[in-house]
Amino acid sequence: MKVLVEKSGFMGLTWQNIVMILISFVLFYLAIVKQYEPLLMLPIAFGMLLTNLPLTGLYHAYLWNPTDNGLLVETATMTKMSLDYGRVLHEGGLLDLLYLGVKLGIYPPLIFLGIGSMTDFGPLIANPKSFLLGAAAQGGIFFTFLGACVVNLTGFAEFTLKEAGSIAIIGGADGPTAIYLTSKLAPHLLGSIAVAAYSYMALVPVIQPPIMKLLTTEKERSVKMGQLRQVSKLEKVVFAVAVTVIVSLIVPDAGSLVGMLMLGNLMKESGVCDRLVKTAQNELMNIITIFLGVTVGATAVAENFLSPETLFIIVLGLIAFSVGTACGVLLGKLMYVISGGKINPLIGSAGVSAVPMAARVSQKVGQQTNPSNFLLMHAMGPNVAGVIGSAVAAGVLLSVLGK
Amino acid sequence: MNLALSILSDAAASNVIDEIQKFATAPEQVDHEAYWGSVGIITLTGILVVFIILAILIFFFWGMGVIFSAIDNSKKKKAVSEKPTPAPVEKVEPVVAEEEDISDDDEIIAVISAAIAAYSEQDGKSYEIRSIRRKDSRTRSAWNLAGIGDNTRPF
Repeated sequence: MKVLVEKSGFMGLTWQNIVMILISFVLFYLAIVKQYEPLLMLPIAFGMLLTNLPLTGLYHAYLWNPTDNGLLVETATMTKMSLDYGRVLHEGGLLDLLYLGVKLGIYPPLIFLGIGSMTDFGPLIANPKSFLLGAAAQGGIFFTFLGACVVNLTGFAEFTLKEAGSIAIIGGADGPTAIYLTSKLAPHLLGSIAVAAYSYMALVPVIQPPIMKLLTTEKERSVKMGQLRQVSKLEKVVFAVAVTVIVSLIVPDAGSLVGMLMLGNLMKESGVCDRLVKTAQNELMNIITIFLGVTVGATAVAENFLSPETLFIIVLGLIAFSVGTACGVLLGKLMYVISGGKINPLIGSAGVSAVPMAARVSQKVGQQTNPSNFLLMHAMGPNVAGVIGSAVAAGVLLSVLGK
Repeated sequence: MNLALSILSDAAASNVIDEIQKFATAPEQVDHEAYWGSVGIITLTGILVVFIILAILIFFFWGMGVIFSAIDNSKKKKAVSEKPTPAPVEKVEPVVAEEEDISDDDEIIAVISAAIAAYSEQDGKSYEIRSIRRKDSRTRSAWNLAGIGDNTRPF
């Protein structure tokens, strides 16, 4: 009896664990009742619960910390500290092993494969100017990078350059990209960054409209845009290949995300890999989503999550989303002026990726001003451009900070 | 070729950033004399590189669009020029000709009359068709609106 009590989880339970378990309950509420991105939020919350139940041995934070589990590795050019993956295989629990897919950068590109196989880049090809709006909305990322560095001056929280880069990518409004970059730059922040990114993505319909209305006049919001031209299959095929080649040549670090995105898209648009497309859209995507969610949640152990840094990450994430939206709308306004009133600035806010939520918000706000206005397809252009834009931004941050 | 890095190394900042990153903690990094300069450079080059890449993509696909529309148009022209000129068709007088009637197609009028007849049978009232006018071509048709409404409802 005594042995049983000593081996039970109650003996290892600390107040930090209890707080984390309560936080996971809050996330359950957000996922199930409020339906905030439930497909990811629910596994993340459950991963958080599992990892904070003591002595389960599902996830070991020390295995992922190079100072506790390091190994000197000699590469061609230098000797560097690396994780001892052999030890992970020997001592790791279920979630440790699944987490390998995050740590080695496998899951996010595979999610991108699925996203690519579901995305229609037609509106973007028909109106390539949308790329500019997709780029402008990434302004939120770089503004937040600056913001995270400024937080250091307050003395309440400390962020290294790598951590600042990871927080900034929340502004890309793209879950897999945020997880990919954070797992490379600052894996200890993965839990809080993923929770912030997915919460704000779910809150896009709440965050964006006030900013959009503040920055535009009623006249600008009611602009109707001309019909988009038809895009041929050949153009879509060329698009997938050309984007991969151009982006990978310029920012090789964005290659794995953009490459997989375009592979999925090429499979879809070519029309010759129906079976593969179905798998990428459904089974593969769903399996990876479960693995990704539960392991990202599992990284939220108390010592990483319960810190002033987490609060700042949540605030900075909101700033990133808001500034990104504002940058998109402001460039939209500029294009409205240059085009002589043909472009509705509302589609600019869709440049923060969050597909297709951000495009829906443009559609809704547009329709509030002019009920017969349909901006959805026009907003999808900047929206999918935003996915490419945030992958490029992640590649840039990775190439600059990722050494 | 790595544009992001090459722009940075032009500014001789790439090594500085690596040097700053050798310090493991944030306060040590902030104390580095080149910290704020590097942060500024990362911010500016970051947004610049994103814009440059997407601008390159714009030009590429704008060019592609021009080429493809040109091919499309030439195909259409070919198809038109290959078609034999149709023999002049005898003009048919419209059946229901009331008020400024724009339709010279009795088929459409027949269909509309039939639809209204079927409808009036249902609710027991009778209707007569006074006129059929073409709508302003800039607005969408009821069918078009219904279709768009249907497709966008899930969003």
